[in-house]
Amino acid sequence: MASSIELINPKAESVRRAAALQVNIAGAMGLANVVKNNLGPRGTLKMLVDGAGQIKMTKDGKVLLSEMQIQNPTAAMIARTAVAQDDQVGDGTTSVVLLVGELLKQADRYISEGVHPTVIAEGFDLAKKEALAFLDTFKRPVTLDRPTLISVAHTSLATKIHSTLAKQLAADVVDAVLTIRPPPPPEDAKDRWREPVDLHMVEIMKMQHRTASETQLVRGLVLDHGGRHPDMPKRVENAYILTLNVSLEYEKTCEVQKDCELKNLVCDQVVGSGEKPKNFVIINQKGIDPLSLDILAKNGILALRRAKRRNMERLQLVCGGVAQNSVDDLTPDLLGWAGLVYEHTLGEEKFTFVEDVKDPKSVTLLIKGPNPHTIQQTRDALRDGLRAVKNALEDEALVPGAGAFEVSCAAHLSGPVKKNAKGRVKMGVQAFADALLVIPKMLAANGGFDVQDALVQLQEEQADGNIVGLDLQSGEPFDPTIEGVWDNYRVKRQMLHSCSVIAVNLLSTDEILRAGRSSLKPDGQQ
Amino acid sequence: MSLKVPKANNIQLFKEGYKHLQGLEDAVLRNIQAVSELSDLVRTSFGPNGRNKLLINHLGKLFVTSDAATIIREVEVVHPAAKLLVMASQAQEAEMGDATNMVIILAGELLKKAEHLLIMGLHPSEITRGYELAAKKGLEELETLSTSSLSTPLTQAELAIALKPAIASKQYGYEDTLSSLVAEAALAVMPPNPKNFNVDNVRVVKIMGGSLAGSKVVRGMVFGREPEGICKKTKKAKVAVFTCGLGLSQTETKGTVLIKNKDEMLNFTTGEEKHMEKIFQEIADSGVKVIIAGSTIDDLALHFLNRMNIAVLKVLSKFDLRRLCRVVNATPLARMGAPTPEEAGFVDVFETVEIGGDRVTVLRQLVEGDPGYDPLETSGEKTRTATVVLRGATINHLDDLERAVDDGVNVIKALLKDGRLVPGAGATELELARRVDSYGAGLKGLSQHGVRRWATALEVVPRTLAENALGGAEGNEVVSKLWAKHEQEGGAAWGVDVEAQSDGTLSTTEHRILDSLAAKSWAISLATEAAVSVLTVDSIIMSKPAGGPKVPQQAGNWDEDD
Repeated sequence: MASSIELINPKAESVRRAAALQVNIAGAMGLANVVKNNLGPRGTLKMLVDGAGQIKMTKDGKVLLSEMQIQNPTAAMIARTAVAQDDQVGDGTTSVVLLVGELLKQADRYISEGVHPTVIAEGFDLAKKEALAFLDTFKRPVTLDRPTLISVAHTSLATKIHSTLAKQLAADVVDAVLTIRPPPPPEDAKDRWREPVDLHMVEIMKMQHRTASETQLVRGLVLDHGGRHPDMPKRVENAYILTLNVSLEYEKTCEVQKDCELKNLVCDQVVGSGEKPKNFVIINQKGIDPLSLDILAKNGILALRRAKRRNMERLQLVCGGVAQNSVDDLTPDLLGWAGLVYEHTLGEEKFTFVEDVKDPKSVTLLIKGPNPHTIQQTRDALRDGLRAVKNALEDEALVPGAGAFEVSCAAHLSGPVKKNAKGRVKMGVQAFADALLVIPKMLAANGGFDVQDALVQLQEEQADGNIVGLDLQSGEPFDPTIEGVWDNYRVKRQMLHSCSVIAVNLLSTDEILRAGRSSLKPDGQQ
Repeated sequence: MSLKVPKANNIQLFKEGYKHLQGLEDAVLRNIQAVSELSDLVRTSFGPNGRNKLLINHLGKLFVTSDAATIIREVEVVHPAAKLLVMASQAQEAEMGDATNMVIILAGELLKKAEHLLIMGLHPSEITRGYELAAKKGLEELETLSTSSLSTPLTQAELAIALKPAIASKQYGYEDTLSSLVAEAALAVMPPNPKNFNVDNVRVVKIMGGSLAGSKVVRGMVFGREPEGICKKTKKAKVAVFTCGLGLSQTETKGTVLIKNKDEMLNFTTGEEKHMEKIFQEIADSGVKVIIAGSTIDDLALHFLNRMNIAVLKVLSKFDLRRLCRVVNATPLARMGAPTPEEAGFVDVFETVEIGGDRVTVLRQLVEGDPGYDPLETSGEKTRTATVVLRGATINHLDDLERAVDDGVNVIKALLKDGRLVPGAGATELELARRVDSYGAGLKGLSQHGVRRWATALEVVPRTLAENALGGAEGNEVVSKLWAKHEQEGGAAWGVDVEAQSDGTLSTTEHRILDSLAAKSWAISLATEAAVSVLTVDSIIMSKPAGGPKVPQQAGNWDEDD
């Protein structure tokens, strides 16, 4: 049956009514099928090979969806929602895709029995509202001390990387966020408003070297370049750091001379006074030419050139001091300080560590790994871990994880909510409740356990009024609050919002159209 | 991105050209197949009796080698799973510089063993858990297997023994000569704290002709070209190093000069000549007898240099120039002019010698015992670079010798960081297999299958050694003999006898066949990691290979521009 649009524009393509809905449902389920194996700590990996033959190994829904070029319009729409979820809260992408797929699958059951899609959509809307209300009662306000935060970070990291590595990195991630967290406002401040955590202050640096388990937190800065002169010192203790944004190129000898004078002023005058020897480091955002490097090297100054702009900002936060845009009036109080600056060479690459600083307001997570894909995987995981800790600090509340929320919410929806709902809306509510169970189901399936057994056990425990999640080591129900499996409140909230919105949208679609390619040339000329 | 309206029954999620392999059959087993291909390829090159491979790479360059790192680099693996192994092997190359072949063989074997388990119906996550447990246990046991360690202070003989297995696996038959050469070179440049040993300080120069017996170690640097001027030889010389060219720089603008009479014609370049003469006179007055130029030397400059009897050598590589600066202890100068006393370096001997048919320039420092050595006159410093001059009949052979020397130097570096040694010749692997197997037998649950397979996979090392040396059928026999010997008290040191003097087994302690513990432990952990990554992948999504030229690999550091 030709759609009327095809009479107007013969090049247009369209799918209508039931067929359109089928396309949407099949697309959503297809995408869910792709990502479902990746859910949870026992999920498997996907290997992505890009056009240039580079390998990427990932479990992270966000990475997967943004790396793949998706052609199906429904799938593309869901993928975009999921990526938006990641931008908002940093986690929960796989869950969103799974939920959308499952919501449509459940809806399909009713629709095939003749229920109108809008009825289901109405039910979804109601269920979403109730589920969000339930989430607010289900969340636990907790004291956010270091151990709790570590378990939050661990819950997030364990779904992305190997469990032993996750355990180790969780502490590093939490320490990183706690270090850069702005202090609480003073008691007597007028508006008691604490500055938000700025995750940009955590630099993530990569070194292809040794194994991933040697990834570590550096309370300082790691720069991915070194001194550019063979005679410069490789290891400097008690270093006074001058941050510059001045081009020391093309015969600017006089300017270099000024730097050296400052060095003399600061460092060399104390020689003989019995103090610890002071040393001098210049980190310049612009270039330094070989001649100037030569002069600096002769003066025993370690000079780094072409530092990244963001590192210049961080450098001031890490070691203090003020970055200078000219060398006209340099004074000793513009300098920063670090206890140890040293260079580490790795084949062709050089790294400079600025460590042992007094009060770091910016830190570096140094990722190590034997090959690029391990590093990339760790890096994506760390990003999510940092977000999880930040979210927890800002929510000041947590949600028990391991599928606990989904099981309880499903019971709540199919119980009291469904009872109070009027008329045909009940069906939509029931579909929503059933769809939520896909999360514990998939967790069990990926752990290699029997899905039905695990789910029934969970529901029985839940019916006794307990908070239960699925223990992925044993396949038995357990209490996530005791084991320290915590999810972020805002991740769950965002997840419920976005999955139901997109599901309702897809359900109420009754025609998919694609206009023919517009050609600027008049007809007949091809 | 232009989207199409899909048809309900034909879902195509990805863009055209994408390949999506999912599930056990499609992804995991296929991956294992590909990996087996790769490991079978390099397996025959393992050990002292490994066969060479003749490779021709995409540039048409010929390689004859049994070095796994070179083979896998030149065959350009594209299969993603096989690439994981290649990356593991490259990581081993970067960390240890040796045992790259072992990583691939072991990972390949681990996956082959996993295949049996998968077909039996075990979930991949159970196998990976077993492998991880086994690797952890294996590495713990490995620590206890160390029988000896490098002596301090280091002696050449001791170092040569530790090097021998590594070199023997590349150049069997020459290992005694090569390992003593490498040990001599390494000791010549050994810093007071051996942990700071820099592999860059041992250079290799290949000169065609003669035989390996004619190879030697030079304490200093050797350049494969003659000095430019007429002065070819000098002793106890001050050295100036210039990164710039020697000669007058061209002006940046074009100028036209109108010459009106013959005097002007004659005097046209006099100023320049005077200026040049002055500069070189100053250099000569400062006592410099050798000049190293990093760039061109123009004829005028050469004329003055010849007149003042200054030897001049062109060194075009920036890195060589830097190394040379370290050798003679000079500061490179970016402008023409006399060096200050601190900037000038010093070399005991600067000479041009003929090796084979080639004339090469040697800069070296004298050591005690050399003719002409006078402790009062030399700088008294230890040389900072030693060069191994390799002789051989063909370029390919020389290249292979060089790779063996490089591996040897890397082994030294690894040993200096961690001097513990374990029995070689497959003895350690078999002992580990035995211990991990008995550990696996005591485990509960499904992971014990993984653990025990891991143990059997380790057998591949002695088995391959035996197969390559004694022929395919002998492998099983030798391995079973070894098992019997290892079961006995104190039998942990029995390994494969590649020369088959008795029954194919030998005691490694008697024959002093020792490997570095650190290299083994890295090889085991990297191989296990690679195998586990291949097993945990449940689907592969491949996009259409992009057309156009390949992305060039960036050479060196991004900050490098001078």
